[in-house]
Amino acid sequence: MQKPIDVLSQALQSKKIPVKVESEGRASIEVEKKDLVQVAKVLKDLGFDHVKAVTGIDYPDQGRIQVVYHVSSYSDVNLAKVIVALKTWTNYKELEVPSLMEVWKSAWTGERETYEMLGVKFSGNPDMKRLFLPEDFEGVYPLRKSYKIKTEGLFVDRPS
Amino acid sequence: MMNLLFDLRYYVLYPSFFNSVIYPGLIFTAILLLTTIWFERKAAARVQMRVGPYYASKRLGGFMQLIADAVKFVFSEVIIPEGVNPTLFALAPVLAVAMSFIPLSIIPVSVIPPSGSVFSIYFRDFYDPNIGMGVLTGLFVQYNMLLILAIESMYPVFVIFVAWVTNNRFAIVGAVRESYLSVSYDVLLIMATLSMSLEYHTLDLAKIAQSGIPGILANPVAAIVFFIAMLMGSARFPFEIAEAETELVLGAYTEYSGFLFVLTMAGSYVGNLVYALVFTDMFLWGWYPLSGFPGALLTGLKASIVVFFSVFLRAVYGRYRIDQALRGGWKYLLPLTFVSLFIGLVVGYIWIP
Amino acid sequence: MTDQAEELMKSGGMEIDVIPVSGELNVGPQHPGSGHLRIYVRLNGDIIEEAQVEPGYVHRAVEKLGENRNYIHLIPLVERPAILDSIHMNLGYIMAVEKILGVDVPDRAQYLRSFAAEISRIASHLYGMGILAIFIGHSTGFMWGFGDREVWVQILEALTGARITNSYVIPGGVRRDLTPTIVEMTRKAVTYMRRKIKDWENIFLNNPNVKARLQDVGIMTREQAIEWGAVGPNLRGSGVYYDVRKVEPYAAYSRLDFEIPVYKEGDGYARTLVRFEEIQQSLNILEQIIRDIPEGQILSDRFFKQIPPTRLKKWWEGQRRVVMPGYYASFRPPKGEAVTRVEAGRGELLYYVVSDGSAKPYRLRMITPSYRSIYVMQNLLKGVRYADLVSIYGSLDYFPPEADR
Repeated sequence: MQKPIDVLSQALQSKKIPVKVESEGRASIEVEKKDLVQVAKVLKDLGFDHVKAVTGIDYPDQGRIQVVYHVSSYSDVNLAKVIVALKTWTNYKELEVPSLMEVWKSAWTGERETYEMLGVKFSGNPDMKRLFLPEDFEGVYPLRKSYKIKTEGLFVDRPS
Repeated sequence: MMNLLFDLRYYVLYPSFFNSVIYPGLIFTAILLLTTIWFERKAAARVQMRVGPYYASKRLGGFMQLIADAVKFVFSEVIIPEGVNPTLFALAPVLAVAMSFIPLSIIPVSVIPPSGSVFSIYFRDFYDPNIGMGVLTGLFVQYNMLLILAIESMYPVFVIFVAWVTNNRFAIVGAVRESYLSVSYDVLLIMATLSMSLEYHTLDLAKIAQSGIPGILANPVAAIVFFIAMLMGSARFPFEIAEAETELVLGAYTEYSGFLFVLTMAGSYVGNLVYALVFTDMFLWGWYPLSGFPGALLTGLKASIVVFFSVFLRAVYGRYRIDQALRGGWKYLLPLTFVSLFIGLVVGYIWIP
Repeated sequence: MTDQAEELMKSGGMEIDVIPVSGELNVGPQHPGSGHLRIYVRLNGDIIEEAQVEPGYVHRAVEKLGENRNYIHLIPLVERPAILDSIHMNLGYIMAVEKILGVDVPDRAQYLRSFAAEISRIASHLYGMGILAIFIGHSTGFMWGFGDREVWVQILEALTGARITNSYVIPGGVRRDLTPTIVEMTRKAVTYMRRKIKDWENIFLNNPNVKARLQDVGIMTREQAIEWGAVGPNLRGSGVYYDVRKVEPYAAYSRLDFEIPVYKEGDGYARTLVRFEEIQQSLNILEQIIRDIPEGQILSDRFFKQIPPTRLKKWWEGQRRVVMPGYYASFRPPKGEAVTRVEAGRGELLYYVVSDGSAKPYRLRMITPSYRSIYVMQNLLKGVRYADLVSIYGSLDYFPPEADR
């Protein structure tokens, strides 16, 4: 029997989507922002039916933020062994990524959190507002590297 | 001097005073209330692998804990929320509790024999022509079954009043639930009572109890319906729907604190005792075959057991949803009351003179 | 039905106006039924028209703090979101770190990880059951849940030295070895729990009142569960066969024999039954572990060799514990990233750790089971009765601190 990861990489390569197989259960796809929804739809057709996590990673030296969707499958027992990381980049200048809500509803929580923590807008997500942070939170986007944690106390004398 | 003592005894034991203030009125009810809450906590703790009240008076099994709690509540601040009418806010729970106490002075707790009892001197004043004996009750009315239920059915009105006065959303939702429930359980109570009155050809509780035929045998269906309606009416589990802590904080009493909170809590327990006394008279023989003061004690004992049983259900059940309770009331219990009505007619015709 | 009534009234010369009774309720954060969570509810009569779940009241910024601490210092931190299920929180993170480091874990340590994890799962389920019980007013279930949990917490205490926040799993193995006392305690606890489950069935599961509150309440179909990304028992209660222990076995699960309970109904009662059967499966697993556990090291050789011989003699030979080797103090794993998942008590727990070669993670992403239940709950609350809010909340076993992280 063919391994699910091989089936996946063949299927994706036939669609000209570059896929990087990392191990038996992990693969990653790096796509341009504009192709994100399209690739997501391909993945959905393959049987990937939910988003596990939406992660934003800030790279200030490159001036851009990486958005990673970890997707996998519930309905297909074999595909469930694989987690695919769907990665895309967005510039500081236009921090906007198309939302994958139309493909996977389960991206809702992660996209909202990434919006409030890193300031990446997901166009198409109906709830682009704060989720965890209080309304009067000062200093926007705490998960950016430029946000320094304020430490206080008697023995704090050097900046962290 | 002797005269004075005799006079004093006369007035203290005069049923209108004795029944409404000492037994089963204020004083007895207050003690029973504490005991009930203590029992409720202790029995639930037993089921739930806990100890319950313990440290305040270890020898009494923590009985004094309730008194300590009461003292604490009396001295804690009564917070009156902004935007309410303070007079009405303070008055509402007092009225509710007062309302729940009134039926206690009408419920017959025993009969007075013509001689041989401490109460025999009042024989003539409280003479009941239906049974040919005096009745130990605060105010004797021949139609006391109706009167008790009528007064007790006023209680939910005051609960709604309490909620309306506090102007809190959770309270309003609680009051709405209470009003839905009260409509449904009042019908059940009245139907069960009606079937008993048809069966015993009377509206006098004393006659039912004194007849010597226990209602629970004569009409078990009515007893079941009455008991369930009693649980609904006094907000016991599984019908503690109007207070539902995890949903409505405390329902109508959400905003109350300090001593006013104690009053709101007391109301439902007193209501429970009233229903339990009626249940005892109607279905459990009441004082029969005793009379006078021992008879009154027997009635109180039976009623206490009924109250204890109904509070113990807390350890067994959760709470139903309001629509489930209403559906149960209207769809299943109401037809059951028709059955009990029928049983009442037939059995009353055949068996009961 | 209302229309008919209205027609009838009109024909009889009467008219009624049906006025919709609507209003908003703030359930929480200061509310006995909400926990550290605010649920904004718009009611129409008794029906919830719209519910907005607003978490964040116990947000501890684990992800941000994670970027500012050494890898080893993060162990206590990642446990904090769910201190009642801390073994799993710890395990998932350590697995990610091990993956980046490329460490192999000895067999005995793998078994011990499963052992601790299953105890943690039982305790977590009992806790969830207790909360569900008090949500629907069943105080006995609440007290029993917490009382029976105590047994398992005490075993964890004997094994790890702490009741909660155990910090038991470390890179390359575990901190302490199993002792005969713990084996004996586990045997007793398994027997006790089996007996207790019968009592639970009598007073809770088969209680008509509990059934009435849970059956056909908060129904989540299989499709909905997949679409909303439900996890753990909630997912399996909707008929999806998915458990990380089977899909991607970690620790010793590939060598253990157990079943995954799945129910098709998708209502609150099915979710509760799944939890109960998982407790029973966990008991079986525990028995297998104490029977089959192999002898050997509990820490990877790579780290074990670094422990000084004098300390080794005192702690390992004396008390069957390992002390932290110096390597841990500020190790720098190679560049890379790792995604790990474990089946925590409440469902799948995902860690995504990105390392840039420094002593601190570049990015630590922690997706807890309750975090993924936020969206599920928000959707399930639409159109239900107000009283079912707590029933659904409880049956999802949503734990606010875990969701907020």
